[in-house]
Amino acid sequence: MSMVLVVDDDPSLRRALRIGLVARGYEVSVAGAGGEGIDQVALSAPDVVVLDLGLPDIDGVDVCRRLREWSSVPILVLSAADAEGRKVAALDAGADDYVTKPFGMAELEARLRVALRHARAGRDEELTELAVGDLRVDLVHQSASFRGRELDLTARELAFLTYLARNAGKVCTHHMILKEVWGPQYGAETHYLRVYAHRLRRKLGDEDGVFLRTHPGIGYQLVAS
Amino acid sequence: MRRTALGAAVALAGVAVLSAAMAPARSHLSIATAALVLVVPVVLGVAIGGFAAGVIAVLGGFLAYDLLFIPPFGTLDVGSGQNWVALAVYALVVLMVARVVSSLQRARSESARREVEARRLYELSDALVGDRPLAELLARVATTLQESFSLRSVSLLLAEGEALRSVALAGEPLSDAELAQVLPSGGRLRSATAGGGRVVGLPLSAAGRPFGLVVLVSPDPLGPGEWAPLRTYANQVALALERARLRDQAVRNGLLEEADRMRSALLGAVSHDLRTPLASLKAAVSDLRQPGLALSESDAGELLALVEGQADRLARMVTNLLDMTRIEAGALEQHREVTSVAELVAESLAMLGGPERTGRIVSEIPPGLPPVEVDHVLIGHVLVNLLENAERYAPEGTKIAIGAEARPGAPGGRASVEAWVEDHGPGVPESMRERIFTMFSRDGAGGRSGLGLAIAKAFVEVHGETIRVEEASGGGSRFAFGLPAAPALPEVP
Repeated sequence: MSMVLVVDDDPSLRRALRIGLVARGYEVSVAGAGGEGIDQVALSAPDVVVLDLGLPDIDGVDVCRRLREWSSVPILVLSAADAEGRKVAALDAGADDYVTKPFGMAELEARLRVALRHARAGRDEELTELAVGDLRVDLVHQSASFRGRELDLTARELAFLTYLARNAGKVCTHHMILKEVWGPQYGAETHYLRVYAHRLRRKLGDEDGVFLRTHPGIGYQLVAS
Repeated sequence: MRRTALGAAVALAGVAVLSAAMAPARSHLSIATAALVLVVPVVLGVAIGGFAAGVIAVLGGFLAYDLLFIPPFGTLDVGSGQNWVALAVYALVVLMVARVVSSLQRARSESARREVEARRLYELSDALVGDRPLAELLARVATTLQESFSLRSVSLLLAEGEALRSVALAGEPLSDAELAQVLPSGGRLRSATAGGGRVVGLPLSAAGRPFGLVVLVSPDPLGPGEWAPLRTYANQVALALERARLRDQAVRNGLLEEADRMRSALLGAVSHDLRTPLASLKAAVSDLRQPGLALSESDAGELLALVEGQADRLARMVTNLLDMTRIEAGALEQHREVTSVAELVAESLAMLGGPERTGRIVSEIPPGLPPVEVDHVLIGHVLVNLLENAERYAPEGTKIAIGAEARPGAPGGRASVEAWVEDHGPGVPESMRERIFTMFSRDGAGGRSGLGLAIAKAFVEVHGETIRVEEASGGGSRFAFGLPAAPALPEVP
């Protein structure tokens, strides 16, 4: 049974989430403020954290950053619809994914499952091969295949795909991808990413962007269905 | 003129007295002694009355000396050549003394004048420095100019488009005729003198651009010597006014920016407040609707209660927003009626919801309170907002108290009832106790709107009463506000 820590200052939402998640077979603990949330992660080691960005004591983005200093627990942030900048900040600070308020419980649970699966898959650091759904990336021979078919990729395309595969399930912001794949002096050239994502989707046969998902204004994510 | 006459009189009297004193012994006196003694009244006269008095004194002294002390006595004849020399030396010495003394005198009065000028300049610059609003500065400049130059009137006119508008006046009001004399004819402001130097108009300009006019009316015609400092002052005044204008503008811009910032912060806070209940509503409803989800009956019941509570919360938020709009629009109507505090409290508890929400609220309304005359809808909102605020901050399991006590009015004044809501939460720090009632968040980071408290304040003030927050006994906060007591009922026989 996976344990979910819900950090939100609204008692009603905490109650609704607790009932809904318990009914879905999760173990749930709650915290009403950022400091309390950080303590709970340390004390009860949850499998995943659902974190509201608007907390009364510590800003949610700072909570992400502080947790990432010592914990790799998947973090799913809750944020308002028009707060793109806040989502990006939270993802850059180490959050894995976000859900926009208001959300249905089914959607929240789907995101929780993705986060949990990838967290388990990513445990082993000494990987020679990455597998995300039908994608295989051979890290030793620097090659990739999709649905058993070898992909003809340039070095940079492979680097882009490898970075997303390493962080499968996690929403990678434009900033993060540019810095990792192109180099530390990059960060604002989001049009590069549009071009590469388009090429990769064509080579993957994923024109609709189901596997390589675009989060407009935020970044990209590999989603194993 | 009066000083000259006084000096001459003193000198002549001195000459007469000394001559009379010396005359009986004149045969024993040397003519040089008499001459020396007679220098004294002349110097005295010059010192008092200046050079003109000196000349008169010299004449008197000369005559007295010649007639009384140079033989043959009683005639203007000067006997021997030696006596001529004595007379000439006397006249020369006395004239030169008169000159020296009078020029000293002039220098002294000149320095006194300069001192006055320096003092005026000091007073004026004292009026000009200092951070004052424009209107106050204008009044101060006019008064200082009028007082330090003993003018009959000083007016400051500032250009507004094509016209000049009088913005400050000290002394007698300016007549239209006087004003017309110095007003620019061709539109461009320039210095002008009229009424034989009695009315003077000086332009005020900054950055080479004239923007106003100072009109001075003096009781005596002003000479060129008095003109020059006035022009200097006009320039200083112009600079100070320009600075004050810029300052006022900067203040206005700052206020606009502040208002803008407030508005967007308020919008952010309000949208946060509206979204929060929506999030739990949607989460709860999506669970209730999901087929095959193993919800126990009690869980389903709890979710339904939650839905109802959040719907109420949203409804109250919307009511608050509408109230706010009404306050902002100034369209707050009140229908006061006589009611009791206990009734108002019962009503607001009912509005707040069922016993699971109101269970922690303890009513401490004593019996025997005077009836109050209020708009029960508005006061109901005040109580609900204060209770909700307390609920939000009181830790779970602690009590929230609501109470009231009679407050006898001052003799002749109205009696009232003070009601309060008390929680044992973290309390409100001293520095926040005013700000908390503005449309702002109680805690900046959480971004909540302080709409409820701002509305409470507005509604209490509509009743002519005040609201305040203080520390509750035993920690926490206590929001107290007044309710006007109903006028005593007439005795019914």
